Amino acid sequence: MSEPWMIAGAWLATGLTIALFSFLYKDNPFFKIAEHLYLGAGMGWLFQVSVFSVWGPKIWTPISNGDLMVLVPSILGLSLMTQFIPKISWISRYGFTFLMGYGAGLAIPASLATDFMNQIMGTLQPLAGVSSMTPLAIVNSLIVAVGLVCVLFYFFFSVEHQGHFKKVSNIGVYFLMIYFGASFGNTVMARFSLLYGRFDDLYTFSGGNYFYATQIILAGMVVYFIVHELLRKKEASEGEAAQ
Amino acid sequence: MKLIKKTIPLAIVFTVGVLTLLSYYVPHKVAVDFVETVSKWENIVMAFAFMLGLISLFRTHYGKITRQVPGWGYSIFVFIGFLAMVVPAIVTKGRTMEAGSITALGWSYRHIYNALAGTMFAVLAFYIVSTAYRSFRIKSAQAFVLFVAAFILILGKVPLGQLIWDKVLGWTGYTVSQVIGWIMAVPAVAGKRGIMIGIAIGAVVTSFKIIFGIEKQYLGRD
Repeated sequence: MSEPWMIAGAWLATGLTIALFSFLYKDNPFFKIAEHLYLGAGMGWLFQVSVFSVWGPKIWTPISNGDLMVLVPSILGLSLMTQFIPKISWISRYGFTFLMGYGAGLAIPASLATDFMNQIMGTLQPLAGVSSMTPLAIVNSLIVAVGLVCVLFYFFFSVEHQGHFKKVSNIGVYFLMIYFGASFGNTVMARFSLLYGRFDDLYTFSGGNYFYATQIILAGMVVYFIVHELLRKKEASEGEAAQ
Repeated sequence: MKLIKKTIPLAIVFTVGVLTLLSYYVPHKVAVDFVETVSKWENIVMAFAFMLGLISLFRTHYGKITRQVPGWGYSIFVFIGFLAMVVPAIVTKGRTMEAGSITALGWSYRHIYNALAGTMFAVLAFYIVSTAYRSFRIKSAQAFVLFVAAFILILGKVPLGQLIWDKVLGWTGYTVSQVIGWIMAVPAVAGKRGIMIGIAIGAVVTSFKIIFGIEKQYLGRD
């Protein structure tokens, strides 16, 4: 891509970034345009990924080579399109049931292996090597094991939470709160990391080599908001005067 | 009619579900080949499912434009955004880089999609902070624990926070990074494992209900 294209890209990226940030002031046409563009661009990106990684290599190429087996999933997939014709929309069940069956069949071993067995193993395994562990490591392993049991007590709804059961499940809530707090902290920092990235781009595009894209677009948007607000106030006062 | 409308779809769920499940535990070439084939088939059906969503989206926005409902002009930008990604993709055959140089698709991805996606999620940072202000009102010991965990995590990930920690709590001999490491590796793990085990049990039970036709809401109405 040549230099003018990169400058044009910088102006476009800056405009779209500032248009989305403008929502922090209030809902406005710039934000709505950027929002709809995002929706279209997102779908466009996924569409091209689908075309070049599934439609081409997994459907078109095998059919061209005489492998007609791919017609089976293609027909199942096509059945989904009957959703647009209410009278025969039941045909789409064939495609959906295939997806549901595959998803359910895959979810059972995957959940049992990674989310169930591995978690129990990860909790119990350290306790098997207590003799070779430091006192701190032993305490940590015990905290994890006890905490996990308490959390599981909290999620056990078959018995009413009363007496000792309630005390144990209450301890579980503290472990859950620590996890939620830690997750929240991580999410906040991840979002801020994205924010720094966008500000970094705005700073880069504010340079002379990009013809001060950030400053000019930002100033233009501020002028729009001021003019829009003045016109709105003028209309409101004229309306009041007419009454 | 019940046979083709209900019985055969439920038989497909059962057959595909049981065969996929068994293939995972059967160490035989036939089972491995089956999983590979069904996985490819699933990719193909999912590609059609994506088309279903795409056509539905286009129908909605095309309808808004033709009926000229309030705000219909914005719907045009959905199509502009779509074409801004698809036309360069067709020209470059889906390549974002060519001979070390960015292609038209790479340009669109970087300056349109990436800028929009990055900003859209970055804007959420402001809302998360405002939500935190409202939700972190410490009303109980449990809320205090949540606040402390979140506060330490946030504090420890910025240089200023690390500096404050060293000045105020440096005498303890533990850095904020060590404390974060301990929180993430010990108490948070206990909470996370409890949730993961709960999710796993729920997923297994729901999957069995789907395979055996007990859960069939996804079939819709007759």
